[in-house]
Amino acid sequence: MAAVPANKIYTVYQINKMVDDRLRSEFSDIWVVGEVSNFKAYPSGHLYFALKDERSQIPAVCFREAAQRLKFQLKDGDLIIGHGRVEVYVPNGRYQLILDTIEPKGLGALQRAFEELKRKLEREGLFKPERKRPLPKLPQTIGIITSPAGAAIHDMLRTLQLHRAHLKVLIYPVQVQGEGAAEQIAQAIWEMNTLENVELLIVGRGGGSWEDLWPFNEEVVARAIASSRVPVVTGIGHEVDWTIADFVADVRAATPTAAATLVARGWEEFEKRLDDLWVEMKQRVQEFIFDQERSVDVLIKHRGFENVSRRLSEARYQTELLAEMLNRALNQKVNLGYQKLNSVVERLNRQNPVARVMHWRVLLETFSSRLEKGFINAKNKIDARLTKAAASLDALSPLAQLARGYAICQKPDGSVVVSVDNIRLGDEVVVRIVDGSLDCQVKDIMKGVNGGG
Amino acid sequence: MAGKNSDVESIDFEQALTELEKIVKELEAGSLSLEKSLELFERGVKLARLCKEKLAVAELKVSKLIKEKEGVFAEEPFKAED
Repeated sequence: MAAVPANKIYTVYQINKMVDDRLRSEFSDIWVVGEVSNFKAYPSGHLYFALKDERSQIPAVCFREAAQRLKFQLKDGDLIIGHGRVEVYVPNGRYQLILDTIEPKGLGALQRAFEELKRKLEREGLFKPERKRPLPKLPQTIGIITSPAGAAIHDMLRTLQLHRAHLKVLIYPVQVQGEGAAEQIAQAIWEMNTLENVELLIVGRGGGSWEDLWPFNEEVVARAIASSRVPVVTGIGHEVDWTIADFVADVRAATPTAAATLVARGWEEFEKRLDDLWVEMKQRVQEFIFDQERSVDVLIKHRGFENVSRRLSEARYQTELLAEMLNRALNQKVNLGYQKLNSVVERLNRQNPVARVMHWRVLLETFSSRLEKGFINAKNKIDARLTKAAASLDALSPLAQLARGYAICQKPDGSVVVSVDNIRLGDEVVVRIVDGSLDCQVKDIMKGVNGGG
Repeated sequence: MAGKNSDVESIDFEQALTELEKIVKELEAGSLSLEKSLELFERGVKLARLCKEKLAVAELKVSKLIKEKEGVFAEEPFKAED
């Protein structure tokens, strides 16, 4: 290596700094024209993008102070005229355009292609509102054409689940950016249209740069959507991104998530409406029954009805009365009938010899029983008289006299000796005293000693 | 394609809902006989219950289409590619 004077050796920093100084002095006030690409707006408010033309590109920055003064929304594909300076970002040695003024300058190449296709399809009537078909409210099978990788498919499936969409999802995996993506997407749309149970298609893609979304601006995709048998919902990029596909689609949703929400909405609404109708129906019927009850009540309280009611109870009373009368009459008649019948039977019986005998027997029995009763009566009467007589007899009994010391003298034959004339000497007599009797022999007879004497 | 609407059977959700709406509207009009309104109510209850039951069992099914040859597809359970 050749000997180099020490003061000729620069540090990396010194070089970058020197280039920076040189560029700043030479490119401190320049105008540039180019197409915006890879546009990114940072939360800090600074805008970063590339400015390009057919042959070259350069990184560009628009700091917040300048960005706030912009009169339009800068985006990919915009052809602009900018004013600013060129400087080196010293830490990495890259140079960049620092723009303080940006103004739109017609359209970039992609933008031009976009506008041309848009005008052409519009002339064909592909964007007409009357071409837009309503989405089936309650689709049971849907197709999703998107990348199987990436956030979009996850967002869509999660959203469908979240909104309780009761459906079957068929995913047709495609490439959504780069070479050949547009053809794949168009092919997927055509092929999914051959599946007869698919009721609608979602064509979706997550956010990306203007170039990333470009396949959705190609004619082949637009034509496929326009010829689709089933309605197509697009959900491509972010809110601000409008692609040709969005214009042709039956429904354009701002994002893949929004597309899924639209598709699921019918199901969600269905379930809610079902619940509402259920409640409403029950209420109506309850009210209806209540109304009926009330009108019955009103009728009952109505004077006309009261009349009817009174007449009804009167009629009922009369009916009861009549029934009672009828009953009584009937009973009377029946009784009369019975009586008549009985007398006839009786009379008939009387003519019957057997009955006659029976009759007499009954009579006989009656009499004999009366006779018996009479007899018993008579006997009782006699008994009573006897008893009475016996009692008075007792009082007169001579035996009662004996107690007072009297004695009765009897002959052996029992006859009472009342006179000495009936006794001879030596006769045997019995002398009764109150507590016994004495057998005696007459030793002497003296006439007239007691009473006569 | 396999399982062509077979999991949905006979009930058409939209038709059921339309009929249910009609029933409620008729009940709202209130010019029906008690018998007729109860008959409608019974029908409505049946429809709503059927829909509810169907909804309770239906859930999101996700399949990925695999092209076997021109116009012929197979399905396989979808698993996101990372």
